[in-house]
Amino acid sequence: MFENTKEYFKMAVRNLKMRSLRSWLTIFGIIMGVFLIMSLLSLSEGIKMTVEKQLMSLGGNMIIVMPGDESNPMASMMYGGDKLEKGDLTMIEKSDGVDTVVPFDYRGVNVRFKDYNKSLAIEGLPIETGLDALRLMQGWSLAEGEWPKTGKKEIVVGSRFREDVFDEKVKIGDEFNIKGKKLIVTGILNSLGAKDDDAAIFMDIELFYDITGEKRGTARMAMVTVAEGANPNVVAEKIKDSLKRSQKKQFGSDDLNYAVITAEKIKGIAGDVLGVIELAVLAFASIAIIVGGIGITNTMYTAVRERTREIGIMKAVGAPNSAILSIFLFEAGIIGLVGGFAGTALGLLAAWSVELYGQVHPMFYFRASFSPWIILFGLTFSFIVGCAAGILPARRAAKLRPIEALRKYE
Amino acid sequence: MDQGAQPIIKLENVWKIYRLGKAEVQSLRGVNLEIMPGSLITLMGPSGSGKSTLLNLIGLLDVPTKGTVYLKGKDVTKLAESELSVLRGRSIGFVFQEFHLLAYLKAWENVEIPMIFQGVSKARREMRSKELLALVGLEARVDHQLSELSIGERQRVAIARAFVNDPEMVIADEPTGNLDSINGKKIMEILINFQNKNGKTLMIVTHDPNIGAYGRQRIFIKDGQIVDEVSAFGRKLI
Repeated sequence: MFENTKEYFKMAVRNLKMRSLRSWLTIFGIIMGVFLIMSLLSLSEGIKMTVEKQLMSLGGNMIIVMPGDESNPMASMMYGGDKLEKGDLTMIEKSDGVDTVVPFDYRGVNVRFKDYNKSLAIEGLPIETGLDALRLMQGWSLAEGEWPKTGKKEIVVGSRFREDVFDEKVKIGDEFNIKGKKLIVTGILNSLGAKDDDAAIFMDIELFYDITGEKRGTARMAMVTVAEGANPNVVAEKIKDSLKRSQKKQFGSDDLNYAVITAEKIKGIAGDVLGVIELAVLAFASIAIIVGGIGITNTMYTAVRERTREIGIMKAVGAPNSAILSIFLFEAGIIGLVGGFAGTALGLLAAWSVELYGQVHPMFYFRASFSPWIILFGLTFSFIVGCAAGILPARRAAKLRPIEALRKYE
Repeated sequence: MDQGAQPIIKLENVWKIYRLGKAEVQSLRGVNLEIMPGSLITLMGPSGSGKSTLLNLIGLLDVPTKGTVYLKGKDVTKLAESELSVLRGRSIGFVFQEFHLLAYLKAWENVEIPMIFQGVSKARREMRSKELLALVGLEARVDHQLSELSIGERQRVAIARAFVNDPEMVIADEPTGNLDSINGKKIMEILINFQNKNGKTLMIVTHDPNIGAYGRQRIFIKDGQIVDEVSAFGRKLI
């Protein structure tokens, strides 16, 4: 039995070699499909891992409060919306289980540095009271210099200012001009893990109000750290209750217009979004491999037609249907598998190239994922597609009656 | 011939009817025939008489429309194509007028094909194929591609292939049809020699009276029925 299977496999390889150009063209179709699947899967899996890693830095005890609908917090984050008022922040601070509240505000402004002019994000936060929380919860640390002092026109900048934000590298003591105010760089941060954050300017929130003219005491969002031993979900509920009371006092209605989100929830939302993206990527890439599969079916049908006489000869000298079926299935499977190997290698190479590009390009930090599961999936999927695409032609070949097959050539 | 022996092939009231559009062609009409083991038979008949149809039924390449075909006493009429393939591989060898060899294989690789489907080991296949090729006088050509062989040599490869599984019966369909008279004579000598040595049943289909004369049992067919020589050709040929 094994001897026979080995022989059928060898016959299949020989048949493919005999029609090498057509075999390679068909294999190329599969390569393209698997290449797309592998590169897109590695990249989307990489995006997922990168985002998850960044979310991990939020820490489990962090709660974020921002204006907007809780079911769609991203909308208010991206398009603005109401701001947290001073009273709201006080109510949050007074809620049970709250340790620290770090109000946070940000805005895009024009920044002049020497002869350069660039639109950048400036972020304001209470340096004196919030710094510990940021250091502890988000791992903020200085690469060089010192933190700005409250009341002084001092700023710290993200790690990319030492690299490529301006054509000239920024050093401690350099002067920025924002809205006519001269600000001194006293510190440069280590990377915060996101390219946008690493190209932002951070300052005390009072200075931020001075520069931007934003209403004092307000904030676009607030980061809340939970007291030791308190459950973040319970604290989040308490914050909501406090905010409802604050709303009622201000507007007479307790309709909550704030999203109070725990780190856990953010991870959930991000996970859902990324899951959908991954599914969509998989669906589109699958179409490509199915097209490759149709190519295999087409090639195999042509092979059956071309080799009708050969099939007839083999059946006349004793080949059972199963032998013919095996030979043709092997051929289709080999096309699938070879395409799968090459496509996987090329796909991973492409993902790796994108990762390299991401490391040198200022737009994003990026990691591709090269898990053995993705590779195994690519190879198995391509082999199965190959075999499935070969089933119908192989059955047709196996069912040929020898007399009809031979008669065609007499 | 052992009178008590069972026929290797027996046809009982066999009909083969083809439909060509609305027309019906009765290729065989109630043929009864017994072929005993070890016999040397020639099957002759004019063109369109039903020779090839009868050959296909005897060789288990086709099944009758009506009637029964027995192989060593077993009714094979209702067997599936896959089962017939296995029986053919074990019991019947073929030599075709068109040789039906695979051009991209070497001589010995063509000969080994029937053994592959019988699960014979690679070493044994190679040895047996080369042994058979030596018997048909091609020992020096075993590793040659088919395209490097003459027409007569190709037919000898086909003969080696027909005998390689040691079948009980070999059917040769116009084996000399594509050969000149010298090569044709050689091929007939090889076939008869094989038959004599191994005591196998050999059935040769031909329209050539000189070849037909080799048969110790001669069957004549006309209009799908087995007849005598005069009825088939209008005169005695042999």
